[in-house]
Amino acid sequence: MNTFYATNLLVYAGVDIIACIALNLQFGVSGITNFAFIVFQAAGAYAASVLSMPPDSNPDYSFQLYVGGFQLPFPLPWIGGALAGGLVAIPVGLVVLRKLRSDYQAIALLVTSIIANTVITNARPLLNGAAGLALVPQPLQDQIDPRSDEYYYFYIALTAVCVGLVWFVAARIVNSPYGRTLRAMREHELAATALGKNPVELKMTIFIVGGVIAGLSGAILVDFITAWAPSVWLYPETIILFAAIIVGGRGNNVGAILGALLVPVGLEEVTRQLIQMDIGPPNLIPALEWILIGLFILGFLWFRPEGVRPEPRHVFRGGPDVGEVEHGRLA
Amino acid sequence: MCSVAVRMSVRSSMAVSPEVPMLVAEDVHRQFEGIHAVDGVSLEVPRGKITGLIGPNGAGKSTFLAVLAGTLPASGGRVVFEGEDITRLPAYGRARRGLVRTFQLPSEFARLTVLENLLVAAPKNRGDSLFGALMGRRYWIQDEERLVDEARRLLRRFGMGAKESDYAGLMSGGQKRLIEIMRALMLHPRCLLLDEPMSGVHPRIVEEIQHYLESLRAEGLTIVMVEHELRLVEQLCDSVFVMAQGKLIGSGTMASLRRQREIVDAYLVG
Repeated sequence: MNTFYATNLLVYAGVDIIACIALNLQFGVSGITNFAFIVFQAAGAYAASVLSMPPDSNPDYSFQLYVGGFQLPFPLPWIGGALAGGLVAIPVGLVVLRKLRSDYQAIALLVTSIIANTVITNARPLLNGAAGLALVPQPLQDQIDPRSDEYYYFYIALTAVCVGLVWFVAARIVNSPYGRTLRAMREHELAATALGKNPVELKMTIFIVGGVIAGLSGAILVDFITAWAPSVWLYPETIILFAAIIVGGRGNNVGAILGALLVPVGLEEVTRQLIQMDIGPPNLIPALEWILIGLFILGFLWFRPEGVRPEPRHVFRGGPDVGEVEHGRLA
Repeated sequence: MCSVAVRMSVRSSMAVSPEVPMLVAEDVHRQFEGIHAVDGVSLEVPRGKITGLIGPNGAGKSTFLAVLAGTLPASGGRVVFEGEDITRLPAYGRARRGLVRTFQLPSEFARLTVLENLLVAAPKNRGDSLFGALMGRRYWIQDEERLVDEARRLLRRFGMGAKESDYAGLMSGGQKRLIEIMRALMLHPRCLLLDEPMSGVHPRIVEEIQHYLESLRAEGLTIVMVEHELRLVEQLCDSVFVMAQGKLIGSGTMASLRRQREIVDAYLVG
């Protein structure tokens, strides 16, 4: 295994873990079926790109059209990417989360994802349309050669620090009384409202937090692959992340990580190996990959809806001895 | 034994004159696409009493209760709680002021434990905000420990101490009713709106709930209760309002209502 391949694997794993933790906060913990999740990752990627790239009048970049081009030093583009994810979440959340029932929210978010992708694809002066952005500068590329092993290790370390930071934030939320309120809202929103909880405020807050984390994951990814286009953030990408959460275990941060490693990373690797074995027509294996993802979701929802690592039961010290904690299956 | 929750609620209600009714509905309407589910209901709920709300199926009792609690907006009229117009206040705002409801169908937080169900309702926990959560355990642990103690006292009082670590969704129908009542008490309510608290409950648990409601009244809590079981209404309620077809058709004690021909025809027999 060469360094480039290992770096690819680890950075993608890190990005997927961060994305899955964010989606777990929204979907697993709070019950918001955010079918537009990939939009917030894309917002972070685009923002990080235009914050770090020079203006499109620069001779090296004049083959593409985009707004901005601020040439900000690292880590400002990543911070900007995270903020962009959160900022995009505000109008989307205000439109979708205030009035609509949860099933309609899911549909509205799916439609939002499709609209956003279509707009960015066709509005070329905004972010270079379907061709997307290329030659995105990488963090500290003037100090370390981006093609060296040292840079690969540096990028892995940067990603790992972000994974750690996101884990820290998510763990604090999930294990707090606030996390408990979010889970109560997921279970029965009207009852939570009747107990003094403001559901719009709760949903908006966690939607923005998830947007910020998604934006960060987009920034990390785009600075690694140095390009970003509408074709990489189509709505089915969100379905892969949902599959990861369902397989790993909804409401459990460890489950989210496990799901990220099993579905987007694991499945991608298996597919890659199969493609190299040259089995059948060229598009057979990628098509089968989607079938497999669908079967994964169906199979887990049918046979093990709580996932590989179910949400832990929160038992308090000093209570009655409950013996070994079992996870009751609840519809 | 007087629970902390009820003692606090009684103390906090002392600021309002005892002459002022706990809850007043003035010409309350609620329409669903032209159907008058609640049609001009006006009533006053006295303090520290159990008030019954009875009527045949489809009379609009649960809808009226939902309008009082704010879980359904009123199409017209006013709701006044402790002298303050709360008609435009959302349900969560009313709950925070002490007007708390339970539901006709079980509404437990199924994948939370019984103890967690109670803790969700508890106000004044510094960890119950994004800021508090991010500040970490040390920031909110004192509040949490205080509230766990309070919730455990309630669980013991309602005979469910041994169940605190079980998932609420795995409890029986009667136990879910008790969880709802305990959960509401964690909010230190001044007025409790109960929607058919005995519905689908084993007779033994019905007796327990009846006993608990009587003890809560003795501690000064105001209760409004929608109930179909007239024997229980007779035993528990100080006064009773009767609804039919969205309108209020009578009020008084059960004994006096039984003497009113119109009410007997509409509901009490047949």
